[in-house]
Amino acid sequence: MQAVVLRGNQDGYQIVLDQAASFEEIKVELRGLLDNLATDAQVTDQISFDVLPISRLLTAQQHQQLEQIIGEYDHFRIHKVIPDVMTIEDAITLKEQDNVHLASQTIRNGQTLELKGDVLFLGAINEGGRLLTTGSIYIMGTVLGIVQAGFPSAEDQVVIGDLHEAQQVRIGEQISIVEADQPQADSQTIAYVNDLHVLEYGSLAALKTISPKLYHKMGG
Amino acid sequence: MGKSIVITSGKGGVGKTTSSANIGTALALMGKRVCLVDLDIGLRNLDVVLGLDNRIIYDIVDVVEGRAKLAQALVKDKRFDDLLYLLPAAQNADKTALTQDQAKSIVVELKNEFDYVLIDCPAGIEQGFMNAIAGADTAIIVTTPEISAVRDADRVVGLLEKNPLKEESHLLINRIRSHMMVEGDTMDIDEITHHLGVPLLGIVLDDDAVIATSNRGEPIVLETQNAAGRGYRDIARRLEGETVPLMKLEQPKAGFWTRIGQWFKRG
Repeated sequence: MQAVVLRGNQDGYQIVLDQAASFEEIKVELRGLLDNLATDAQVTDQISFDVLPISRLLTAQQHQQLEQIIGEYDHFRIHKVIPDVMTIEDAITLKEQDNVHLASQTIRNGQTLELKGDVLFLGAINEGGRLLTTGSIYIMGTVLGIVQAGFPSAEDQVVIGDLHEAQQVRIGEQISIVEADQPQADSQTIAYVNDLHVLEYGSLAALKTISPKLYHKMGG
Repeated sequence: MGKSIVITSGKGGVGKTTSSANIGTALALMGKRVCLVDLDIGLRNLDVVLGLDNRIIYDIVDVVEGRAKLAQALVKDKRFDDLLYLLPAAQNADKTALTQDQAKSIVVELKNEFDYVLIDCPAGIEQGFMNAIAGADTAIIVTTPEISAVRDADRVVGLLEKNPLKEESHLLINRIRSHMMVEGDTMDIDEITHHLGVPLLGIVLDDDAVIATSNRGEPIVLETQNAAGRGYRDIARRLEGETVPLMKLEQPKAGFWTRIGQWFKRG
C-alpha cells in the first residue's frame, strides 16, 4: 500500500494520504510523487490539489509542512485539506447546534442562561432573568424576563410561545419591548424578524401567509 | 451542635435586623440559647434594636484581629437569663475587614455553644453577603409585598441556589398591610411564595408598634397581644418544628350602614 496516492476525477486532482502510513513516510513519498509529476513535460498549467488525509487530523504544523513541500514546485499548490474525521470536541459543538435543548429551571433576576441551538423551555424566567441561545426558542413555561433567540446576530430564528408577560423579546439584534408592542396572550404566538428587519408578532396558524419562507424552514 | 441561620433579603429596609432581633428573642423566650451575629459591618444596628448598644466593649473585627476572645465580645441580654447573646459588628471598619473563612470559623465556634446562631446579613449581594452566607446552615429570606423587594429576593434566591447551603431556604414576608393585600393592591402571599419558589416560613403584619418598640430597644415579640409579635413567635415555633397554622389576614370591617344593607340583601 502506498502512503500517498494521486487521484483525478471531475473535481480535480486529489492527494490521498493513507491512514496506516506515518507522517514522515508521507512526506518522503509526497516529494517522490511531485518530482515525478514535475519532470513530466506535459505539466505547464497551475495544478491545485485537494489533500484527503484518511482518518487523520493534521496538526497546524503538519499542515504547514505539506504546504511547504508542495510550494517548492512552481506549478503546484494546495487547494484545501479535507479531513474525514473531527475531534470529539468539535463533534459535540456541532451536535449542540442541532439539538433541541430542554431547559426547565427557574432563571431568576440577574441570572443568564446561555445555550447553543434550539431550546424548548419548560421552566420560568422571572423578571430580570435572561435566556439566550444561538437558535430558536419554543416556550411552554412562564416568561416574565428576557428571551433572545439567534444570539448574537442571527435574524432568521424565532421565538414561539406566550410572550405577553415578558419584558423583552430579542431576535438577533432586533429588540421588542413587550409592554409597548403588546403581543397576544396566546401560546401560539410567534415572534420573528420580517423582511424589513423589524421584530414582529404573529399567530402560528397564519405563519404560512405571513412568511412562507419561515413556514417552510420550520417544516411546514 | 446548634444551627446557624442567615437572615437576608438583598434589598435594604425590609426588616432583616428587626426580624433577626425578634426571631432571636422569640427563640430565647422558648428557652433556647441564641446568639445573634451582626455582620452589617460599618452600619451596625442590631445592638440598638435589642437595646444593648451601651454595653458593647469588643466587636467581631476585634475578635478576628485577635484583640479580644470571642467570649469577651459577646454581649449578654440580661432580660433573658443567660439565653440571648449578641456578637456586635464593628463600626470603624468596612465589609472587607472580614473574610468568608473568618466569618465561617466564628459561626462554627458559636454553634458549639448555642442552639441557634442567627446571622444578620447586610443589604446588598457583595462581600458582606458572601461572608454572611459562608457559615450558615440555612437562610431566611425576608421580603415585603412590594415588587422591588420581591425582585431583589428573587436575585438572592438565585445566588443561594448557586452557593447552596446545607438546608433549604425559607421565606418570611414582612410588613404586610392586611387591607392592601385583601384588596389586591399588593401581591398576595401565595403569589409571592409561588413566584420565588421558596417555602414560606411565616408572615408578619405591618404595625406601628414594631417601630415604637424597637425605638425603645424592646423587640415586639415581648408584647403578647401584638399581631406582629405573634407572627415572629409563630416563626420561632415553626423553626422548632411545630406545625403552626398561618395567621389569617383581617378583612376590612364593614361600616354601620353597610351592615344594615347586608341584612336586607340576605332576604
